[in-house]
Amino acid sequence: MEQFSFLQKIFRLSLFCFLLVFMTLIPALQGVNKAYGDDEDIDEDRVIELGKKVYETRCMICHGSKGDGKGFAGITRRVEKNGRVLKNYARDFTMGVFRFRTTPNGCLPDDEDLMKIISNGVSRSFMPPHKDILSLEEKKSVIEYIKTFSERWEEEDPCDVIEVKKPDWVGSSLSVKKGERVYKEMKCWECHGEEGKGDGPKSDKIKDDWGKPILPFNFVTGELKRGSSAENIYITFTTGLDGTGMPSYEDSLNEEDRWHLVSYTLKLMGKLKSLH
Amino acid sequence: MKKIMVFTVVVALLIPALSFARKAKYEVVEVNNGGGIQGTVKTSLKVKDPVVPINIQPKEDPKETEIERKTCGKTQQAGIYIVSPSNEVKNVLVIVEGVKKGKAAPKTDLTINNNKCRFEPLVSISYVKSNYIVKNSDPLFHNTSLGVLLKDKRRAVYNLALPYQNQEIKKRNRVAGLIDLKCDAHSWMRAYVYSSRHPYVTITDANGNYELKDLLPGKYTVRFWHEGFQEETKEVEVKAGKVSKLDVSFSKTRKPDFLGRL
Repeated sequence: MEQFSFLQKIFRLSLFCFLLVFMTLIPALQGVNKAYGDDEDIDEDRVIELGKKVYETRCMICHGSKGDGKGFAGITRRVEKNGRVLKNYARDFTMGVFRFRTTPNGCLPDDEDLMKIISNGVSRSFMPPHKDILSLEEKKSVIEYIKTFSERWEEEDPCDVIEVKKPDWVGSSLSVKKGERVYKEMKCWECHGEEGKGDGPKSDKIKDDWGKPILPFNFVTGELKRGSSAENIYITFTTGLDGTGMPSYEDSLNEEDRWHLVSYTLKLMGKLKSLH
Repeated sequence: MKKIMVFTVVVALLIPALSFARKAKYEVVEVNNGGGIQGTVKTSLKVKDPVVPINIQPKEDPKETEIERKTCGKTQQAGIYIVSPSNEVKNVLVIVEGVKKGKAAPKTDLTINNNKCRFEPLVSISYVKSNYIVKNSDPLFHNTSLGVLLKDKRRAVYNLALPYQNQEIKKRNRVAGLIDLKCDAHSWMRAYVYSSRHPYVTITDANGNYELKDLLPGKYTVRFWHEGFQEETKEVEVKAGKVSKLDVSFSKTRKPDFLGRL
């Protein structure tokens, strides 16, 4: 009896020591290895398992079983009004590079960024919206599963999301005029063309990080891939589109000028009537 | 019973330790009686440095076209093969791979200049947590796109717009590895940076010589990388207070990627 209580004491002491060490280590471990407690492990396994299921039924056909974008569907093509053929490659998740982010240039996207793409799809590509097809849990799980394809998600710390606050004057004629000057000075036309048709003098030489030729956006032929809201246009100038030729203007252009450029872009896209 | 409990506690304590080990990639220690590696990089091949034709597409405003043609020139000496009369190769990156422990890396920032439609320097070293300072000395638009070269891929690190002359952008170096630089506006532009967590990286001089100092004694793998040659790796043992000799001769050329973009 006495011996048993001694063992109990040791057990309690060890448990206490363990908890103490564990608690002090938690802040250091956050984001590195979120879950090694038994319960959390099971939870994470369950999420990945569900994510895999969702991926295999909804994503794999284009993005491939290894997440490298080499799915059964292969390369898809779209023809624009002016006859330009756009080749669409399903995103290669093994690189961990994403264009449509609200995080700065060179950063991994925020979960919410991926959620938006999965929910709304990508215009002018073959990525369909899954708003009504997948439950929130399924979408969250597939995001976690997508992250298993690239080591970047484990190696890099997350970046802060860029705040976007649209000024009232965006789209005003004065702002459009100022934006036109910015468009000229920032040499946007070198790739996107004087009239924004994506046919500038540098437009045919650009290649993406996969070595594939990539065409600059033609503003007059439809929606921006991430959606054509003023905010989306602004964030594109700010973050750049990682993996493509579109650089970030966060350090080259102040916020106000970026918003003027939004105004001019909206004009080129023929979207100003709906805004004002 | 007691043993089981002790074992449980030990294992429980080890788990966090292990996950720490995964994150800790390089440990800074004091190196008092380290050793060095020294050598020369040569080539057994006769190589010729190509001349790159510069093709500027005409712009709507002829003045803009003129400025660009004047700044970039009609041709550029590629500068791939800078080889001395005794076959010594300049601009070879000499990288000690997989170093776990050693001196702290310098905190020096690296300036990359877009000058006359070329990146300067062509080959350089940057250290993780220091800064890249990207400059544009030309009166025209450049964008500087940095990508880390993985096995068979290039992954975006930064892509910065530099529309004005004398513009400067400072960005923190967050990604280690061999970084490739390009400018989407000028397909011939390229440069290479080795981004390192440790100080054991260097570049060969005009006589093909290099020197690495203050390594902890032990066995190391050294990688010799050059844009125009097949890379070589060599094993070397470093002994305390001694300098190990390690020469290399490149015997195979390769076509730098940027030539394929022209």
